[in-house]
Amino acid sequence: MSGFLGSDLAGMTATWVAALATIVVWSYLLGERRLFRLAQHLLAGLATGYLVLLAVREVLLPRLLEPLGRDPAGNLLLLPALALVAALAGARWLPRQVVALPVAVLVGGTAAFALGGAVAGTLLPQLAASVLRPGAPLTVANGLIGLGITGLVLLGFLHGVPRSRVTGAAAGAGHWLLIGAIGGWLGFLLVSRLALLVDRLGFLLGDWLGVAR
Amino acid sequence: MGDAPMNERAPRFPTRAMLAPLALVVLLGAAVLVRPGDDGGALLLANPDRTRVAELHAAFAALPEAPLVLIGMDADLGTYPEVRVAVRAAFSDLQARDARLAFVSFTPEGRAIAGAELDRLRGAGFGDDQLLDLGFIAGAEAGMVRAVTDLLPAGVAGSLADAIREADAGMGAFDLALVVGGGELGPRTWVEQVGTRLPGLAIAAIVPTLAQPELAPYLRTGQLVALLATLRDSAAYAADVAEGATGAPERVPSALAMLLGMLVALGALGRGVASGLWGVPSGPGGGAGTSDRHRGGGPATDADAATDAGNPDGDVATDAERASDTDAATAAEVEQDTATAADVDEEGDGDGDAGAAGAADSSDRATGSEPEGDTR
Repeated sequence: MSGFLGSDLAGMTATWVAALATIVVWSYLLGERRLFRLAQHLLAGLATGYLVLLAVREVLLPRLLEPLGRDPAGNLLLLPALALVAALAGARWLPRQVVALPVAVLVGGTAAFALGGAVAGTLLPQLAASVLRPGAPLTVANGLIGLGITGLVLLGFLHGVPRSRVTGAAAGAGHWLLIGAIGGWLGFLLVSRLALLVDRLGFLLGDWLGVAR
Repeated sequence: MGDAPMNERAPRFPTRAMLAPLALVVLLGAAVLVRPGDDGGALLLANPDRTRVAELHAAFAALPEAPLVLIGMDADLGTYPEVRVAVRAAFSDLQARDARLAFVSFTPEGRAIAGAELDRLRGAGFGDDQLLDLGFIAGAEAGMVRAVTDLLPAGVAGSLADAIREADAGMGAFDLALVVGGGELGPRTWVEQVGTRLPGLAIAAIVPTLAQPELAPYLRTGQLVALLATLRDSAAYAADVAEGATGAPERVPSALAMLLGMLVALGALGRGVASGLWGVPSGPGGGAGTSDRHRGGGPATDADAATDAGNPDGDVATDAERASDTDAATAAEVEQDTATAADVDEEGDGDGDAGAAGAADSSDRATGSEPEGDTR
């Protein structure tokens, strides 16, 4: 069903391993914790090994060390990058001031890109799309409803501010609207997780046991 | 729950509370075995509203001959099975249009899935001139920004790589970006980082149901040209593609199993609401709900704590009080479980998500699994 595992010996072995791993994880439902903990350790170990392999094979070697080894003069900018990587790798033994530099570059760069993208790619376009424009009555009504709900929910976040009876009622309505939205989101979550469970059952019954192909 | 000591043994006989999830699994398993007829009858999963499917068809139809399509494979290992049907249908659809696909990933999990899918596609008849593996690009948003102008790894060769190199060497060479989301860097990041720099590049997305509320606004603004974000839309699209395709179609999850699961969930929800409003016992055996489950050693989530009768906030003290009539060891276990759930709840609330989002996510963590990072 997953389509990843073939019908040869390797595929069959992988199917059995996947099926047994699933059953081991599900054994937790019956209170079996040792096997479940074993599965957790297996997952953590595999994930760590995979990440190390990925970092070495697809980042450090092809994008840092190989270009430097091939043409050091043409890749001078990679030298400070190498120094920053070395500083992070040796963080345990280096002074805090030295380690702070790559960490600052990392955090600052990530935050700058994320914030800039959020403003230019989400906040401004979404604000522009939310502006009420003359149009079909249904569109205007839709926009007004959106505006009303947004206002009420924002009022629901007014804390520590003296409220009149009207403001309090509006804030209460906003609070319930927010809860309703979260409930809707949890509904999506439920459908999502249910689909995964059903898919896994399909794998066990189809790919593994062969009774639901 | 992850704090439970390794040497704890399972009870000799499963309790009723422990049998409940087992019964659900058996029920869903039986439902999976019941397959609808060829016409599907009333149990078709495919969405009869084809708006979203039509948008994806339109996005593909607008492509030129032998288009270059960039596949941003940043799905999440945990949720990929949900979107797999739609993703593979899209690959088949693109193959029928003689598209040339280049895969890139910005998350490690996405890279693992991309590698597996590339192997599968090669086995399914895609030629070397139709597929290109651009690998994993580190650096999250910064890496993505760099890839806008510099996408090709050093030393990559082949006709497809040459075509990209001649056109732009960056993402501007492509006619469409199809982003498979679910991981940390999904379609929203693509819109924010790539869409703002390459407004001419059409971006379509296939994501798990969970991401639907987050991404629907981008479809409305036109920042995404198409979005498949629910299982029903995915099933409808896969059915469309399968009609014109040869070979075995991808199987969608059983509609009957989904229906039964939803009914069970609604029943549990109704029971929880009733217990909150009128004090009806919500747990198996008419006892203290999940406290009984804890006694049996079952998994404790903060969702459990939250649905405990009269304890909507997942208050630890209430559970512990309920456990006071059990023996000391059992009470300690209950406290440990609920404390873990409460800790996790604090994490969930503190991560910037909406409260319930954190709570829902943290239920994963409380059961010991890795946080999936699919909610931002």
